[in-house]
Amino acid sequence: MNVEILAAGILTGGLYALIGLGISLTFGVLGMMNLAHGEFVIAGAYLASLLVTGAGWDPLAVLPLAMIAVALIAYPLQRFLLTPLLRASKTAPLVATFGLLLLAEALFQAVFGTHPKTLPAPYAAAGITIFGIRVQTVYVIAFALTVVLCGATHLLLTRTRAGSAVRAASADPETAAILGINVGRVYAMTLAFAAALAAAGGVMTGVAQSFTPTSGLPLLLTGFAVMALAGIGTVGGVLLAGVTLGVIQSVAVSVFGGGWSDVVVYLVFFLALAIRPQGLFRRAAA
Amino acid sequence: MSRRLWPAAALIAVTVACFAAAPALNPATLNLGVTLLSYLAIAQAWNVLAGYSGQVSLGTSAFVATGGYTTALLLAHAGISWPLAFAGAAIAAALLAALLSVPLLRLRGDYFAIGTLAISIAVQALISNWPWAGGASGLTLPIGVLPSGGKLFQLAVLVAAGAMAVALYAKQSAFGLRLAAIRDHEPAAAGLGVSVYRHRLAALLLYSAIAGLAGAVIAFQLIVISPDGIASVSWSLNAVLMTVVGGTGTVMGPVIGVAIVYYGLTWELQNQQTFSQVIEGILLIMVVRFAPSGVWPLLCAGVRRMTGLRPAARAGTPEPAQEAQVADDEMARDLV
Repeated sequence: MNVEILAAGILTGGLYALIGLGISLTFGVLGMMNLAHGEFVIAGAYLASLLVTGAGWDPLAVLPLAMIAVALIAYPLQRFLLTPLLRASKTAPLVATFGLLLLAEALFQAVFGTHPKTLPAPYAAAGITIFGIRVQTVYVIAFALTVVLCGATHLLLTRTRAGSAVRAASADPETAAILGINVGRVYAMTLAFAAALAAAGGVMTGVAQSFTPTSGLPLLLTGFAVMALAGIGTVGGVLLAGVTLGVIQSVAVSVFGGGWSDVVVYLVFFLALAIRPQGLFRRAAA
Repeated sequence: MSRRLWPAAALIAVTVACFAAAPALNPATLNLGVTLLSYLAIAQAWNVLAGYSGQVSLGTSAFVATGGYTTALLLAHAGISWPLAFAGAAIAAALLAALLSVPLLRLRGDYFAIGTLAISIAVQALISNWPWAGGASGLTLPIGVLPSGGKLFQLAVLVAAGAMAVALYAKQSAFGLRLAAIRDHEPAAAGLGVSVYRHRLAALLLYSAIAGLAGAVIAFQLIVISPDGIASVSWSLNAVLMTVVGGTGTVMGPVIGVAIVYYGLTWELQNQQTFSQVIEGILLIMVVRFAPSGVWPLLCAGVRRMTGLRPAARAGTPEPAQEAQVADDEMARDLV
């Protein structure tokens, strides 16, 4: 094993953390497993591809637009479809987001075709040397973006009024509603925010590797693996869990070969879930 | 007592009729029948696990694939007869479930669901990387020794009837009542002396064994099996879709669900796969949103209203889930 494998693992892990953060936020605040989260990621990549391959924009310039667009799709979904289902039964939101997953896959296929796409960028295949270690530039950018977005999420949750409302709605929706917090709107804002994070992850994923209409499911499971490792309630834990997962995967691939990269993620996921369902890095809820 | 016996009698009558009709049917009908019956068995297995014991699995394909691959590997490498390979499918799938139950039964609710989802994807990835099982390109069953035509149809009838019988038992027996108690309120059930672990395990084993047998039937039908086919997540999806559309926790729900989803959509629209998936997704969302108990309970309520029978007049088991639903709906409305 050498340092480059470790570095590659850490940087890939940043991308995993970005996807896991949205899932963790959705589950932490709404108590809902969003099976369509991977589709938000891929939606971000496909929407960005419209401007990147269509108009020749740089993926990083398109990134904020993709985040806003996907958030705008997510908001009404939560407001008018998923929130009413949340209290209906344990399985209803799970099954409904499953339906959204199917629907999104089919729509991507119908609109964009089944051919693998990538988002071309000058830094897509380039490498740079940091501290004497050769790494892929795109993963460095993605990692930096993840750290910025994680920090922003943390500050938003802990330092703003909106963040207080989110945490109140998460801790006790009934009491929060009595105190005048519009819980339905907070829930929708939370999913929209999580979807924006997903879209950012999707754009970076699209630059780093190719994607197809069915790429959402493996990304979703990677995100779940991050959440299972991290537990709910800490933004820092999510970042640490993503990096841990990236390193484990990177090492496993170098030892066993590329075909095993996904198997390793799912095994880690399953073991983490089985041994410590509350997560490895859990602190008291934020 | 007769009220409890006539569904079983009807099931036996339908099974015998299908069995007897097999030689008279043409190959296309038999083929369609095998497909529908496999779906029915898988949906009903999921119904027993999710509908009666309250454990939502998104990993049905793991057990379908285990059953199918066990049968195929036994036939291709061990050279035994198909009935033995068929029995091996149930045993292997149940063994996998028993092994996985150690971590799985620590999980509840959504965690159980994503745990099973992870298992199914891991099984698919493992098979793809396993050269002895043909890797990503799959495996061909020795065609000469397989049951086919009428015989395969009869086998599928038996598997589906077995699944129906298990669901009927779960509906009517004390065992089923204990499962429902765990589903509706686990601490209360445990407090009343129900062994939660043993009952959850029993439901998981029944589910996996039926899914494994259905996997064997599917392998017999497809002849060439691959990780993208028999281990595809779509088996898990269809089990959920068909049962939820028909009516979770009802014996007839999966039957109606298979008819609507498969016959109405997948088969009629098989030339337009994408369009069919769009409709399936929308259907699933619509049913969950506007008819969360499914089509079969709606039909029953409609018939009852037309015949003037009040629901209270029926001596059938009350459905606490629906009463809880009403209360929860009101809470949900407050949230919006």
